[in-house]
Amino acid sequence: MQSRRFIDRAIKQLFFLAATLSVLVLLGIFGMLLMNGIKAFEHISLTEFFFSSNWNPAAYGKPSYGIVAMLFSTFLVTFGAMCIAVPLGIGAAAYLAQVAQAKTRLVLKPIIELLAAIPSVVVGFIGIVMVGPFIAKVFGLSNGLTALNGSILLAVMSLPTIITVAEDAIRSVPNSFKEGSYALGANQWTTLTKVILPASYSGIIAAIILGMGRAIGETMTVLMATGNALAMPHGFFDPVRTMTATIAIELGEVPYGTTHYYSLFAVGALLFLISLGINLIAENIAAKYRYKA
Amino acid sequence: MKTKLQVKDLHLAYGTKKVLKGITMDIPENKIVALIGPSGCGKSTLLRAMNRMHDLSPEVHIMGEILLEGDNIYAPGRDAVDVRRKIGMVFQKPNPFPKSIFDNIAYGLKIAGQHDKQQLQEVVERTLKSSYLWEEVKDDLDKSALSLSGGQQQRMCIARAVAVEPEVLLMDEPCSALDPISTAKIENLMLELKKDYTIVIVTHNMQQAQRVADLTAFMYFGEVIEYAPTEELFGNPQVELTRNYLEGNFG
Amino acid sequence: MRKHSHLFIVFFFGLYLWSCTHQHGQVENLIIKGSDTEVNLALALAETYMMEDLSISISVSGGGSGAGIAALINGKTNIANASRPMKAEELLLAQERGVNPLSTVLGMDAIAIVVHPQCPIKELSKQNLGDIYRGKIHNWKQLGGPDQEISLYGRQSNSGTFVYFRDSILQAEYSPKVKQMNGTAQIVEAIKTDASGIGYVGVGYILEKNGNAAKGIKVLAIKSTDHTLAYSPALLENIQQGNYPIIRPLFQYTDGKPKGKLLQFLRYCLSEEGQALVQQNGYFPVSKMYQEQNELALNTTYAKSSLH
Ligand SMILES: Nc1ncnc2c1ncn2[C@@H]1O[C@H](COP(=O)(O)OP(=O)(O)O)[C@@H](O)[C@H]1O
Ligand SMILES: [Mg+2]
Repeated sequence: MQSRRFIDRAIKQLFFLAATLSVLVLLGIFGMLLMNGIKAFEHISLTEFFFSSNWNPAAYGKPSYGIVAMLFSTFLVTFGAMCIAVPLGIGAAAYLAQVAQAKTRLVLKPIIELLAAIPSVVVGFIGIVMVGPFIAKVFGLSNGLTALNGSILLAVMSLPTIITVAEDAIRSVPNSFKEGSYALGANQWTTLTKVILPASYSGIIAAIILGMGRAIGETMTVLMATGNALAMPHGFFDPVRTMTATIAIELGEVPYGTTHYYSLFAVGALLFLISLGINLIAENIAAKYRYKA
Repeated sequence: MKTKLQVKDLHLAYGTKKVLKGITMDIPENKIVALIGPSGCGKSTLLRAMNRMHDLSPEVHIMGEILLEGDNIYAPGRDAVDVRRKIGMVFQKPNPFPKSIFDNIAYGLKIAGQHDKQQLQEVVERTLKSSYLWEEVKDDLDKSALSLSGGQQQRMCIARAVAVEPEVLLMDEPCSALDPISTAKIENLMLELKKDYTIVIVTHNMQQAQRVADLTAFMYFGEVIEYAPTEELFGNPQVELTRNYLEGNFG
Repeated sequence: MRKHSHLFIVFFFGLYLWSCTHQHGQVENLIIKGSDTEVNLALALAETYMMEDLSISISVSGGGSGAGIAALINGKTNIANASRPMKAEELLLAQERGVNPLSTVLGMDAIAIVVHPQCPIKELSKQNLGDIYRGKIHNWKQLGGPDQEISLYGRQSNSGTFVYFRDSILQAEYSPKVKQMNGTAQIVEAIKTDASGIGYVGVGYILEKNGNAAKGIKVLAIKSTDHTLAYSPALLENIQQGNYPIIRPLFQYTDGKPKGKLLQFLRYCLSEEGQALVQQNGYFPVSKMYQEQNELALNTTYAKSSLH
């Protein structure tokens, strides 16, 4: 009895410690990004950083440090990815949770989870040799290394997250809602769209946000598949260089302590803030619509 | 007396477990029929068979017929959605959708293609009035139905079922989770609704069956043991098993 | 992928050697880091050298010239491979950190300009090539080709080739429309599917054993000025006779004059055997001018290469 209580307490403390530690690590990372990032502004003006679309720290002439183009690129690629992944992902989740037979589900589920295990380099490679050329052919472009290519690949990469989380959310909707709807003469589709999906709203939002986080943070795939041109993109058919790609490409070469080095931390800090912002918004939406039984 | 619903030699199994073993009973129009019997004897199962609710569970096997005004609701090609529109159901536990009161009640009409705001408003008001809920909620139609009390939720669910104007209303222990006052309100409501609907109710409450039902069926282990006008069944049961049950010897 | 498996082999091989020789005496570890262009060659040199001298263990990794130089400045590597000379600011930073970069030249790399086989253009002047990458010439029509936007492919800014090409061919900024590819292989893959594409890649990478260019791409002949002849890098003699104009030295930077094992390894690289490996890997032996520089740096004379 005594020892059981002790173990209980010890475990509680352990979890508390783990939670505190992860918060500290998070704060530490952000603090590190911020401290280094701020130093960039000793030599770069805030106006240039936030309002110029010209990023060329390794310039032949005068280096420039404007992030507008890569910020826009990041949003463009992520937005495109979500346009593809959200309907597909929620559709698949609804199918798995509501329509599919147990047997079908048993086959599909592991395949979808396997999708998450494909290394991003491989996805990037598929983007170069298959998806890109396909896009080029369909839309009559000279090459497919475009924002669209990145969006498609990122959509595929965020699908497992979206499907898994959304399926759980849909599955957790009480069966009584479904029966209530059927009893009023609703068919499967109506029941799904009018009752079940609205009831699992918060979980689905969480799924989308998690998928979006995956897409925004993904580096290798976009690095390989979107062409990385520095020019401001005019749409999905232009090559783009995202924030993550920029950091990945340039961080390896910069000598410590240079303006270029610090500027990459500034980009990293901004990326961190964006992710944080998205998560906070998501929490908010989720809390607002949470089902209280 | 016109027969509304006719159950003919109905067998039902969950997988290999036989739960209904040849049920046959006629349910007359504009009457209330109560199903009583010990827990697990198959009352809910029979009720759910009456509006094809079992269609959702692939492991359920059904044999036999249920005729709605002479047409088998299990006939091949018969649309389950259409059957359920004619045979509505109220569940044991109130199950309002996480939507506003208005949207809950308008749901059945909206999905049937009725989008005229004015008309929806009319129906919502009428059904809420008929379920004696109007006075309590008329200012809160936009509020979440989940904010209602249990008794109010159940009356709203009845209003919701009535709003689509079914021909038959199935109720599975609709008062089991409610206090006596709410229960009394719902019993009154049933007697009121009887004018327009045929009602089948599952109940564990003998007094309730006696108060509302015109006919009562006693079920035992998947069979209808005795089915008679309520007064006869309670006053002078013909079968030993029924008498034992009513005297409280088991169940 | 290939690169990494090599890395592992070298690593375990080194580990194995270390365990073998540990009893006998000190094993010296050498770290080589830098240019992706040179990485396969460096691996080949390291592998053969480790066979001959069991008391040395060499690890090789890529990451780009910039990464190698940064590592040297930060004291994290013995040799920085660079396919471009160090920049002024890099030298300055090195000085601040008390590092004295000294270069030897390992071999020569010719850079080929490649296009899709459908492209009707056969030769370009250095001037036109620069204009293309500066964005001044943006349509093949301007060069007598079809009316097609030119689709530019290049390396990323951590690549020595990126810097060399910019500094010696463009002498200006790249057009922002250049697609920055993550390695030579990706440029080749992209050109194969892009009829209006143009890219620059190391000659060694696209020449097959028989001297022909890899399938699916076309190598352009380049002329120094509009008035000289154009030479294709696909012909070895064009490079050996110094006629092909886009050629650069591949550097190995060390911190100060190399001594001991490091010196021995560098000497080995410049030996006849080492230079043969250089050629096997698709590069060209050190030219006369750089040979003299090397001798100064290493205080050594080595076998005259097959350049003459
Ligand atoms: N989904 C199901 N799967 C398997 N057995 C079930 C299922 N639902 C009910 N049963 C079984 O069928 C029998 C009748 O159940 P039910 O109709 O709910 O009884 P009642 O409503 O009379 O209490 C019980 O033995 C119950 O365990
Ligand atoms: Mg029951």
